[in-house]
Amino acid sequence: MKLITAIIKPFKLDDVKNALNAFGITGMTVSEAMGFGRTRGHTEVYRGAEYTIDLIPKIRLEVVVDSADADKVIDVIVKAASTGAIGDGKVWSVPVDHVVRVRTGERGVDAI
Amino acid sequence: MGTRERRERSDASDYQLVELFHGALLFSGLNDRQIALAAVGGFGRGELSPGSDLDLLFIHTGISEKNLSSFIKAMLNPLWSVGRQIDYSVRTRGETKTVSRGDIKVAMGLLDIRHIVGNQDLTDSVAADAYKQWRRRIRAYLPMVRGSINQRTSTFGELAFLLEPDLKEARGGLRDITTIRSLDKSEFIPITLGRIAESEAFLTSVRDVLHGVTGRPRDQLLLTEQDAVAAEMGFVDADALMLEVSKAARAVDYVMQVTWHLIDERLHRISLRRSRRVPIAKGLLRFRNEIALISDYDAASDSGIGLRAAAIAAQRGVRLSPETAMRIATDFKELPSPWPDQSREDLVAFIGAGASMLNVFEALDQEGLIERWIPEWAHVRFLPQRNVLHHHTVDRHMLETAIRAAALTREVHRPDLLLVGALFHDIGKGYQGEDHSEFGAGLIGPLARRMGFSDNDAQILAKMVTLHLLLPTAATRRDIDDPQTIEYVRSQVENAELLELLHALSIADGEATGRTAWSEWKAGLVEDLVARTLAAMKGITPPAQPELTAEQMTKVAKKELSLLVMDHGDTLDIEIIAPDRPGLLAAITAVFTITRLDVRSAKTRTVDAVAVMNWVVTVDINIPYPTHERLTDLIERALVGTEDLQLRIEERIRSYRRRPGILVPPPVVSAITQIVTDASIIEVRMHDRPALLHTVAHAISEFGVDIRGAIVSTLGAEAFDTLYVTDLDGAPLANEKAIDLAKQLEIILTSQN
Repeated sequence: MKLITAIIKPFKLDDVKNALNAFGITGMTVSEAMGFGRTRGHTEVYRGAEYTIDLIPKIRLEVVVDSADADKVIDVIVKAASTGAIGDGKVWSVPVDHVVRVRTGERGVDAI
Repeated sequence: MGTRERRERSDASDYQLVELFHGALLFSGLNDRQIALAAVGGFGRGELSPGSDLDLLFIHTGISEKNLSSFIKAMLNPLWSVGRQIDYSVRTRGETKTVSRGDIKVAMGLLDIRHIVGNQDLTDSVAADAYKQWRRRIRAYLPMVRGSINQRTSTFGELAFLLEPDLKEARGGLRDITTIRSLDKSEFIPITLGRIAESEAFLTSVRDVLHGVTGRPRDQLLLTEQDAVAAEMGFVDADALMLEVSKAARAVDYVMQVTWHLIDERLHRISLRRSRRVPIAKGLLRFRNEIALISDYDAASDSGIGLRAAAIAAQRGVRLSPETAMRIATDFKELPSPWPDQSREDLVAFIGAGASMLNVFEALDQEGLIERWIPEWAHVRFLPQRNVLHHHTVDRHMLETAIRAAALTREVHRPDLLLVGALFHDIGKGYQGEDHSEFGAGLIGPLARRMGFSDNDAQILAKMVTLHLLLPTAATRRDIDDPQTIEYVRSQVENAELLELLHALSIADGEATGRTAWSEWKAGLVEDLVARTLAAMKGITPPAQPELTAEQMTKVAKKELSLLVMDHGDTLDIEIIAPDRPGLLAAITAVFTITRLDVRSAKTRTVDAVAVMNWVVTVDINIPYPTHERLTDLIERALVGTEDLQLRIEERIRSYRRRPGILVPPPVVSAITQIVTDASIIEVRMHDRPALLHTVAHAISEFGVDIRGAIVSTLGAEAFDTLYVTDLDGAPLANEKAIDLAKQLEIILTSQN
């Protein structure tokens, strides 16, 4: 099993959610995140004052999938989250040892 | 499920306890003269809900700890082994008396004591002690009772307005009913318990059904369980159930408020006799911490009295006396359509008072006054919303939004529209199949016109309601880096005035909804979107200096002082034409302050070294009307500077400052440097107060700057002044100097706030 984490632009959440649903993934965890990558934030002019935004609002999306599906799911996310512009985000995956569904006690792929 | 089932359940528990008691006596070798078992709390009243704890008190004559312990274990073990929840205490009569002296929960629980088994004399003597102590020490208990109610309210909120309320602990819930009954037993004040009997029966039934549905003794009525409880109780749906829960809770809360009102009156009877009744506005006086109607005032012929009383009470941070709310409702006189300007201003001042508006609103709502002024409110009153983000019913959510909007009035050019828009932004909710924003816009347009807003303002309000979700939605669902998104928002919002109103409304709405709906993260996205959209707009143009009439131009040509006063009853229109000189505005406003004329609005302009000033002022009801002669005389003396007016002014300001008030956002003063005219523009936004304009004008003249023109407006309780200033040679100030002036003025106003 793999845990796939995606950092995406906030407005892309609906697109990514719909794409994952279409792929057959219905469960995910979404949280609000702040951060920056290569762009190191950008400079803004607001009410006459110039200031640098270091941290840019992003969405962090996490989903656990069967290892066999991981590459395909990453592709689905990347395709749905892409605008081609700078700051589109990142997607990565890490191996997962155990997953347990709390209510039933099911383990492994059955618990996903 | 009703009282009969609860009694049967209580009787069955009694029977079981008697059996166990006798068994334990045999086991431990004690006899039934040495110990008694009594029920306290709800069980003491002989009513037991499914899953409720058994509240027990063992009263003994001084048995050793070892014997007591073996007796109690023998008695309670069989109950513990089947998972029965038991809350018990073991005390002698003397210990009970001591503990209940400092513990309000114990003292109140003992008022419902009921003998079950054992030595009845022991139970009877404890009951008699409890009653005697409760009545004798009630003055010491009252602060503890009040403290525990306040603490519960802050932890559990209000039953009537929460979407997932705790039926027992929230304000207006079952715990409050028990408290009211206890206060009644003190015989300190008379309480009409009949008003809460129905609420008690209903709320207890809801709780019983909830316990039955969940199989747990939990009292919080969650959204996920409301459908099942509603179905079990025969309601059409969960909304119908929650509406009845709200009504029941409101009735309890109302009795609680009246009870405390009576208690306070009794507690302060002596000082009440000594308290002064201070006339505060037409028909109204302030008496201790309440605003009340003057006893012989003819409220039936004054349609504006209700909103006037509301505005004054909320702005002073005091209550509206319940009797006054009742009298205004009984002698109700409908407001004409459109409302008079003053009533609209009163509504704005009322909403703008922030949190202190809430209890005044409640008092008016209890008497049905809100719906009589604003029939549209009836539909959203107690209206639940099936939405995981919301905590409150629709009406309370809109009030909470208005409270938060009151803290944002400095952020906008039209605080009145922000406050009214906030109070009605969800007015279109609860109409089947309708988009609440669109439908609400259709409701607020006519409502705003009825309130006396201009067509233009009514349109802005309708736009605010239509677009109140635009900014948070666009910021999170659209790419704000995409110029098309900015263009989309710009085309919807049209101008910067509306954009700043929508921004403030989004913040107030989000904060009122809760942390799940409004985080720093979301606020940052919305702010970014607003900044980008604002950059694509042409900004906000301050109003131009006022135009003069031909008649005024003729008077200007004479270059001499002229005074014209027109009496409109509640307000005076005053036209003053006078040769200009530095400090003129400060001198004229000094005269107004001394004669206690309160400036509501003004337009002044200097042409050919002559100042033309049009004022709208209100008169303090506590002093005689200033005559035309006295006004002229004072103005003439002020102009030549023969009188040391400043000292008298400072004295007046000091006496005003002693008035208690509410917390308000600090003043904001800004210099508008982007627009070049023949004068520099300074904007002052702050909470209105007596002599404010004089303070501003005086400070500016001290700065060596001349005021060439001014547009002064009071929107509810907020003042918005646009001042056109020049240096003494008549040239606009350099940008740095204008910015510095604004900064200094803000410091002065903040220090006096």
